[in-house]
Amino acid sequence: MKIEARGIRKGFRSGSHSLEALGGIDLGVEAGEFLCIVGPSGCGKSTFLRIAAGLDAADGGSLLFDGRPVSGTGPERIMVFQEGALFPWMDVQDNVEFGLRMAGLPRAERAEISARYLDMMQLSRFSRYYTYQLSTGMKQRVAIARALAMDPDVLLMDEPFAALDEGTRNLLLGEVQQIWARTAKTVIFVTHNVEEAAVLGTRIAVFGSRPSEVRAVVENGLPRPRAAGDPGLGPVKAEISAALGGAP
Amino acid sequence: MRYALYRAAFYGGLVALWHVIHASGVLPPGVLPSPYEVAEDLAFGATEGGLFYGIATSMWRLLAGLGIAVGGGVALGVLMARSEAVNQTAGSLVLGLQSIPSIAWVPLAILWYGLTDAGIIFVVAVGAVFAVTINTYTGVRNIDPHHIEAARNMGAGGAQLLFSVLLPAAFPHMITGFKQGWAFAWRGVIGAELLFAFLGLGHLLYAARSLTDVSYVMAIMLVIMAIGLVVDGVVFRRAEDAVMSRWGLRR
Repeated sequence: MKIEARGIRKGFRSGSHSLEALGGIDLGVEAGEFLCIVGPSGCGKSTFLRIAAGLDAADGGSLLFDGRPVSGTGPERIMVFQEGALFPWMDVQDNVEFGLRMAGLPRAERAEISARYLDMMQLSRFSRYYTYQLSTGMKQRVAIARALAMDPDVLLMDEPFAALDEGTRNLLLGEVQQIWARTAKTVIFVTHNVEEAAVLGTRIAVFGSRPSEVRAVVENGLPRPRAAGDPGLGPVKAEISAALGGAP
Repeated sequence: MRYALYRAAFYGGLVALWHVIHASGVLPPGVLPSPYEVAEDLAFGATEGGLFYGIATSMWRLLAGLGIAVGGGVALGVLMARSEAVNQTAGSLVLGLQSIPSIAWVPLAILWYGLTDAGIIFVVAVGAVFAVTINTYTGVRNIDPHHIEAARNMGAGGAQLLFSVLLPAAFPHMITGFKQGWAFAWRGVIGAELLFAFLGLGHLLYAARSLTDVSYVMAIMLVIMAIGLVVDGVVFRRAEDAVMSRWGLRR
């Protein structure tokens, strides 16, 4: 799904003064692209993602999906939250099937779909586990499987690896690239981690601080699969860091 | 296991002390019956004194009242949590009504319903409903907003959102509300039966008092305590433990 954002603005009111988070975001995302958004904390990159998901409304500007404006959330744009937002009262499989159940799919069909994505995320052994029995990395895998089970056109990922240890993160960086290659989803991936962005993105949009605009869009044509720590990432990381203004 | 032993020793000691005080004759006659007399009255009550019928009567009134309280309290609590208008209006009334002891509803219940089961059930329900309401409200208010957003994003709305996300997410708080509701209901039903003087454990207590039968009064009080202990310490304890660990709130 092709996404075009033009002049997206968003402010927050706190008490008497209002704070402008997004000061006019212009950004295009091609169908099937893996776009990363990096920026300093509080720059509004997550706000932009929430607007794309339909969880928040923009104050101004236009946001088109395949040329059409959308309002509210939709199953074609699925958000993966930083902490996973899994439902603790359901086991892994029921979590993955949640959206399918809401859509009224029969049990057998749901089981078939969840089995496919649990297998893809290497979670088949854990389908009857509850979230408190899972590690943070496994929870995030379940969250991704749950999003994929909806078969969305666009995956919106809000710093999904921020809480992971380095080993787990590196593993998931590889898995996410594979899944993206296999499923041809359009992905917008928000992170504050330059390395992550350089590994994952086909392009990296760099947001400035509040009120943020797109400072630069870094092209990243490096061959895949890429892994964290690849020396070849150097120039891309340097370009991102330069756009961030030297901040690491 | 060690504490079970302590507990047995503690209660054994208590009964022994009771026996010693009774046998010593320091108290005027008729004030403190012996443990044996109380046990005898318990046995009498259980066999021909209608104790089980009294328990059954009190229990069904309690369950009817608590059922109404749970249904109404959950509905009101969810409404208050999801609508600021309801919260700002009905919410303050709930806080006010909660401060009325359930026994204070008895005169009104008698005037409205007469000396009937319905009157007692009303007292029980009105005594328990607000504890359920307030805990449900707190539970729904404390739901991780990402859970609701994720559910909406995956197409849940209206009744689906309520039954698939809001209620299960709020359940750990709700079960605390049910436990408090039960405690209010149990006190309410015994209190109301004492004043209604119309069947049930409370009425047995009243009748025993009228006959100045101290040992039977004490026997019935022991039964009331035992039932409270079992429901609180076994039923709700287990339910809470199960919910807390499933929800990952306690290991």
